[in-house]
Amino acid sequence: MAVNQINLKTGQRAERKLLVTIAEWMEGTSTVREILGTRTPDSSIEYNADIETSTDIRGNNYTDINRTQPQQEFDPYLILGGSKLGAFLNDLRRRNAVSEFNQFTMYIVTMFIGTTGQYEAERHTDCTIAVTSIGGDSNVNMPITVYFSNKITTGTVDKIAEDFAFSADVTV
Amino acid sequence: MSIDKNNAFIDYLLKCPQMLNSPLYFNFINAKDNTNQIVTNSDDRSMSSPYVDGSVKRRYTYTIITFKSITDIPLAKAVGTDTRLPNENVEDLASFQAIIDWIAEQADKHEYPDFGENCQMDDIYTTTDAPRFDGINTDVSPSMAMYSIDIVIDYIDISKAIWKQS
Repeated sequence: MAVNQINLKTGQRAERKLLVTIAEWMEGTSTVREILGTRTPDSSIEYNADIETSTDIRGNNYTDINRTQPQQEFDPYLILGGSKLGAFLNDLRRRNAVSEFNQFTMYIVTMFIGTTGQYEAERHTDCTIAVTSIGGDSNVNMPITVYFSNKITTGTVDKIAEDFAFSADVTV
Repeated sequence: MSIDKNNAFIDYLLKCPQMLNSPLYFNFINAKDNTNQIVTNSDDRSMSSPYVDGSVKRRYTYTIITFKSITDIPLAKAVGTDTRLPNENVEDLASFQAIIDWIAEQADKHEYPDFGENCQMDDIYTTTDAPRFDGINTDVSPSMAMYSIDIVIDYIDISKAIWKQS
């Protein structure tokens, strides 16, 4: 399958907002979604690659990536009015419902690849969002870490809105 | 629709009863007794904080200056007595303090200037708990004391956010 090219002008930098992480979960029979990153100044997906390098007797190196365990931290994750995920996670936290933190589907959308209405995305099912802590100084902060499952379906999303449609292309 | 933030702030400030008692000027110094001035400040872009969703925390700062005629009447009748006299200087400062108290009250109620749909208001506060005494102008008659307060408005500019939560 051909690799799609970056949809920016030559040399143009991709704004951080073009890399979007979205959480999806079920509340009753309803699917609920929320973009992550509101009031978070800096957040990256860390792949935590398990790397093994060996060297043969000629001095050549052979490096293998055995696995990745991607995760993304959102700190601060402020308790904000209108935040459905904040309310949902807080409910799990107060019930100490540790077995229910792993019910999230996560989307990573790379809006710098694709065209309007067809932005490249990947969907991870059975992901975990862990509440790291809760507290803070002036405002209540509940930092979270997303653990991606690597149960990936690649595809596209048509828009960045809660009612976006995901169209799968290849399962890897 | 874009809203002029200065007009929004003026409209907001005019809700303060204390402001209605005095002529209010904008970026114009009229050093007469009991006049108030709004002076705009330009806040450095480094004060802005971008977030990963494309929204940006921004700041507007205003200075409110007031001029009050002063009295040279002492606080007590004579040295060694504890009889207080009414004092215009103390009363003037208290009246200006009322603006600070009003701003704090509005902040507690989350009542902010309306900067429009692309701005989520975050906070409004004065940088000090009491008015700043900036000095006395003795070149005019009567002499004028000048007091000022700085008012900070923090808001989130969501005009370029990638997603506006419904």
